[in-house]
Amino acid sequence: MDKRIWAIGGGKGGTGKSFIAANLGLHLASLDREVVLIDADLGAPNLHTLLGIKPAHPDLGDFLTGAVPTLEAAAVETPYRNLRLVKGTENILFVANIAHYRKLRLLRQIRQFPTPNVILDLGTGSSFNTLDFFLSANPGIVVTTPEPTAIENTYLFLKSCIMRVLKLYMDHYKIKDLHQKMLDQIEKNSQSLYGFFKSLMETDRTYGTILYRALRGFRPCLVMNRTRNEEDVLLGRSVADVARKYLLIDMKYLGAIPYDEDVPASLRSLRPYYVEHRGSPAARAVRQMSEELAYSIEFTLRTPPEIRLPDA
Amino acid sequence: MLKRIEDWNYYELLSVERTASQDEIWEGYQAALATYGDGSLALYGLVSEAERAAILGRIQEAFQTLRDPDKRGEYDLALLRHAPYFPPKAAFRKSVGKLEIGEAPPRKTLWARIKRLFVKNP
Repeated sequence: MDKRIWAIGGGKGGTGKSFIAANLGLHLASLDREVVLIDADLGAPNLHTLLGIKPAHPDLGDFLTGAVPTLEAAAVETPYRNLRLVKGTENILFVANIAHYRKLRLLRQIRQFPTPNVILDLGTGSSFNTLDFFLSANPGIVVTTPEPTAIENTYLFLKSCIMRVLKLYMDHYKIKDLHQKMLDQIEKNSQSLYGFFKSLMETDRTYGTILYRALRGFRPCLVMNRTRNEEDVLLGRSVADVARKYLLIDMKYLGAIPYDEDVPASLRSLRPYYVEHRGSPAARAVRQMSEELAYSIEFTLRTPPEIRLPDA
Repeated sequence: MLKRIEDWNYYELLSVERTASQDEIWEGYQAALATYGDGSLALYGLVSEAERAAILGRIQEAFQTLRDPDKRGEYDLALLRHAPYFPPKAAFRKSVGKLEIGEAPPRKTLWARIKRLFVKNP
């Protein structure tokens, strides 16, 4: 079976990234698949609490400081079959600002982790650390809620991801002068990304094609969490549609998770929600989401996205 | 597809395939209204008010054209003159080694899927 790295991210805090990561992990583990959850929220880790596990060593900090030799050695067993966890560290100040070489080492070890499913629970914000973890994963899942603040931060997060992807390709192909041009232009208005590519295609078609292909290769998924009615669910579809049209990315709307009063209660009792409420609409939505994702990945692996070259 | 928003054709505006049925077109229209309607959250922080109103106007135009079989036929012909069209290929499922045509149950409509989400015990 092929290896899959799932990343759960998104701009705003409190949208339910850790909740979805924990429930997705429990769901996949219940299907007899080996799963490891990694709390990559370097600034404010709390995935262990969602699983009802007390903070203890070893954790991610021990791996980063070299106290344990590999990331696998930092993974601890959980009370749930097939599910292991790499806990976040309490030594926040050190870890939240890790050096570049440490980050690369962590990314390498995540790729080499001998488990078919690795789930990364990412932190808030659009720091390079978070973006690089998000971009290294497939599928990358953006979690948002039906509030203007969350929607605004979702677009910001996607824009940051796009800029990061383009920057990485520009560095690789040594296209130096374009970066500033991109930064200047993309800030302007909603159609600025289109404008940037349009002018690039006119001046340098080869680089334009390379960068456009890179952009189309970035395919995040969207989850609308805490929906209370049909309009909220539809909002997720709209956000994905707007991202496809204005940000030119191939974004897929995975689905919505209904709001559930039982979530805070299960948090307080330190019992995972998915285990306590397997039949609830929210747990069902998580199951449906993972099935949808498994199907779409299988499909996209067979047929690479059609890349039509833009007309200059 | 790299196109300016003003250059989207009616199908792209409603996010439906050119082979879409009348039901799918109606769904696409409702979804587009939700996206570009007055006070829509989906455009928050990305699209200006004037731009939104212009697109909403085009969406109305698109729906009026596509719901009428005669007008739609004419419009399709005009699009075909402009560029060829290849309908989407059937999905291939690696796990079962089959094309998703006959064997797959028909996909539920968007509304049915949305309604099902909030049901306590399906």
